[in-house]
This record gives sequence, structure tokens and C-alpha cells, in this order.
Amino acid sequence: MEDFSAVYRECYPRVLAYAASHAGAQRAEDITSETFTIAWRKLDQMPSNALPWLLGITRNLVRTARRQVWHDELADVPATDDFAQVVELRAALASLSEADQEVLTLVAWHGLTPVEAAQVLGCTTATFFVRLHRARRRLRAALSTPNFDRARESWKTS
Amino acid sequence: MEDLLKDLAQAKPPTPEVDHDRMERDLARILSTPRLRPARSQFLRRFAPLLVVAAVIVVAVIALPSPSQPVRPAAPPQWWRVLTQHWSLMVVGEPANPYVVRFNSTTDQWVAADSQISVVQKDGDVAPFSLDDDNKWTAAGKPTTAPQVGGNYSVRIGPMKPAVQKTNIAGFQMSAHSKVRFDSIDTLPADPVELKKVLETIAGKDTYQTAMLAMGMMLSNGSWERRQALFDLLEQLDGVRFLGQVNLRNGRSGIGVAISAPSTFQFSGVETQLVINPETGMPIVKRDVLTTPQHGLSANMSISEEEYLLLEKTTIDPILPPDVAVNGEVESPIIER
Repeated sequence: MEDFSAVYRECYPRVLAYAASHAGAQRAEDITSETFTIAWRKLDQMPSNALPWLLGITRNLVRTARRQVWHDELADVPATDDFAQVVELRAALASLSEADQEVLTLVAWHGLTPVEAAQVLGCTTATFFVRLHRARRRLRAALSTPNFDRARESWKTS
Repeated sequence: MEDLLKDLAQAKPPTPEVDHDRMERDLARILSTPRLRPARSQFLRRFAPLLVVAAVIVVAVIALPSPSQPVRPAAPPQWWRVLTQHWSLMVVGEPANPYVVRFNSTTDQWVAADSQISVVQKDGDVAPFSLDDDNKWTAAGKPTTAPQVGGNYSVRIGPMKPAVQKTNIAGFQMSAHSKVRFDSIDTLPADPVELKKVLETIAGKDTYQTAMLAMGMMLSNGSWERRQALFDLLEQLDGVRFLGQVNLRNGRSGIGVAISAPSTFQFSGVETQLVINPETGMPIVKRDVLTTPQHGLSANMSISEEEYLLLEKTTIDPILPPDVAVNGEVESPIIER
């Protein structure tokens, strides 16, 4: 029980962040709570590195309640030079498939290693790398499309 | 890769603040709920006495005094070893009745802080490639030398003599055409754009040469991140094609890239492919593959391969072939006609 409490307190913020980025801040706490409830019931299955396993549970929960909301939260980004780049990157990311977004954000936003991210997605590490390469390429291509180029120019001149 | 993912990390949505009251309330509620009874608990109860006996035996064995052994300090790795199996094809014989021979050899390279030792042409030989080629060679009288088709030299058929080359210059030589050396690829920029600029100081604006340098650098001692940066650079070069997952004949698999290779005196329509282990970034194989059939060889067939059997740090000193003079003459199988 003490081990579970320690894992709970350590992993709670990252599970919450994952839930928020995929299902919205409003639902994030409920999904996080449900994640740990399931984890408690299946405590015997919890591996020593619990985070990927927990995020796998969270992933299943958010898939039923998915609502991409990061556009709503742009107000939290300071309106500096970086603002345009953040808008551009999030828009390019949102233009990708959910599978591509998931691969990229597990590494870039949630700080998982490729091995951990592969565990979350339930695939081999080699498969994850292939997906990551393809997703990265598509993100780069999305950033290079004329729409984004025009947007970039408008931000420079505005 | 690193740059794009770093940029993306900057665009991460704000992380919600943890409501500690709710967090602790939820924890208390969760801990008060019943857990699923694991099926194996019954198994454990039934066999618990046996497990206790087994544990006692294990503890007793571990606790037995073991014979004293001298304590050896752990020696740091001294060498970076690259063991490569090479083979390549060449068309030889009379132009009216040519046949294909295969050059086969191993190179064992050992790089330390202040020296580099290479054993080349190890276990090497030149032999007819296929049964049909063997029949043509036999019909020609099993010559020990045969002229290259379209070339100015001849090929010595039969075993190669190994040679040992030793230099006391430290570092990794970037190419046969450049004396530029690096201690480690980790001293190079991790940003693919900056990395490309460095490689272009050696290769010029030649995309293929830049790709070959990047592939060569991936063989040297370095971190996963640098290898990933090099692979990322390869992917970004004009004309480079990402192959996705590649399954190799020996059951290994990896991810690969391909780039069109310049024509040689015998082959045109060739692309160079590099396949790496995505988990380590280590190259598995580099090969030249025909994109069009020629000289009786079909498309998608390799005409040369370098398979990297070992890429590792080791404290074992280089294993040199007996009766071979260090820095003696290298008897190439390609000889004057």
C-alpha cells in the first residue's frame, strides 16, 4: 500500500498532464483518478517502472473521452516571438492523424523514452521508431506547406 | 530529429496544476476500495511450504563460503572495435562471354585513444558468384586472373592475403580523401543542419559524398543521440528515401534510408542503402542495390554489402593474424593487366 501511495504521488502530475493534453483540463482529474483506481485494482500487474503502464491505462480512458483542446489553452502562452511558433507547431500537429500526434507528444510533451512510449502504445520499440520517424517527417512536411509559410510571413510582418 | 522534437516540446500545452487536496482525497478513496484478488494467490497458498523450502535452500547456497578470489580492478574499455563482413561483385572475363566474381572478406578495425589497427582482407577470397558463373569460369580453363569487363585491370581469383595496418594517429578518419579526424562523433554538432555544414567542409556540396560520410560516422564510437542526429541528417538530404522497416535475409531487421549512387565503370542504376538498429542507432548493413537489371543480375539485388558484425567497446587487445607483418604490403586482388 505504501508502494502504491509513493507511485501515486510520484506519477500523478504526469498522468494528469497526459490526460489534460488528450482529453482537456476539465476531464483530466477524473481520468487521472480513474486511472489510479484501475491501477490499484490491478496492483499485482504494476511493473517497477509504473509510468508507461499507467499512461497505457490513461490512454484507454482518454480514447473514449478524447477532445483535443490545446487551441483553447493558447491564451496561456505569452504573446512573445515564440507565440507564433507555438501556434504554428500546434496547428501543424493538429493537422496530423491522432496516431502521429500521439507518437510525437509521448516523446516531446510527456518526456517518455522511446522504450517507455512503445510500452504505452503496446508496440515494439522498433515499430515505435518507425512510427516516430514517419510522424516527424509528416510534421515537418506539414510545417512546410504553403499555408504555414504564408502564416509565418504574416506573423513576421504583423 | 532532436530539433523538431525540441521545438515541439516548447509548444507543449500548459501542465495543469495539481490540486493536492483532491489528489490526497482520491488516494484515500482508492485505497479504501477492494482490490481484485489475483488468481495466483490461491496457487501461492497451496505451494507456499514448497516455496519456503526452496528459498531456504537458495539462501543456504548463497551463504556458503566461496573460495577467495583475487580482486581485480575493472579496466576501462580501451578499444572501439568494428568488425565488418564485406562482399562485392565484379564482371570479368572476355566481353563476349563474361561472368561474375564475388570478393569476400572481413575487416577488423580497432581504434584506441592513440592508435588504430586494421586487419584487412581477413578470410578473404575471390570466387565465381553463381553456379552459372562457376561453369563459365571452368569453361574458360579456371584462370587464376581474369580481366575486368570495361576496366583496365585484372582480378586475381582465389584466396586473398590478410594484411595488418597500424597507425599511431588517434581518432576517426572521415574519408579516404580527407585527413580530417575526429576523436568521437560526440564532438560534432547534434543539430542536423549544423552537422551537414561540417560534413560539407569535407565532402563539398556533393549530396552522395555527404551521405557516405554520415553513414561512415555512424560506425564510430558515439552516443545514441549523435547517431540519431546523423540518421536524421541522412533523411533530410535531397534525394534520400526513407525505407521504413527493413527485414534482412539473416532474420535481423531495422530501419533504413536509400540514396541513388553514382555510376561505376560496370554498374549504373544503383542505390546505396543503410539499415540501422533503431534502438541503438548502430548500423547493421550498408549495401549497394541494383535498381535496374544488368549483367544478368536482377533489380533489387545487392552488388555489394558491408555487414557490421561488431560495433563495441572492448578491453580485449586486437587479435592479429599470425605471420603477417604489420604495415607490410597489401596484396590487392585487383592487379595490373
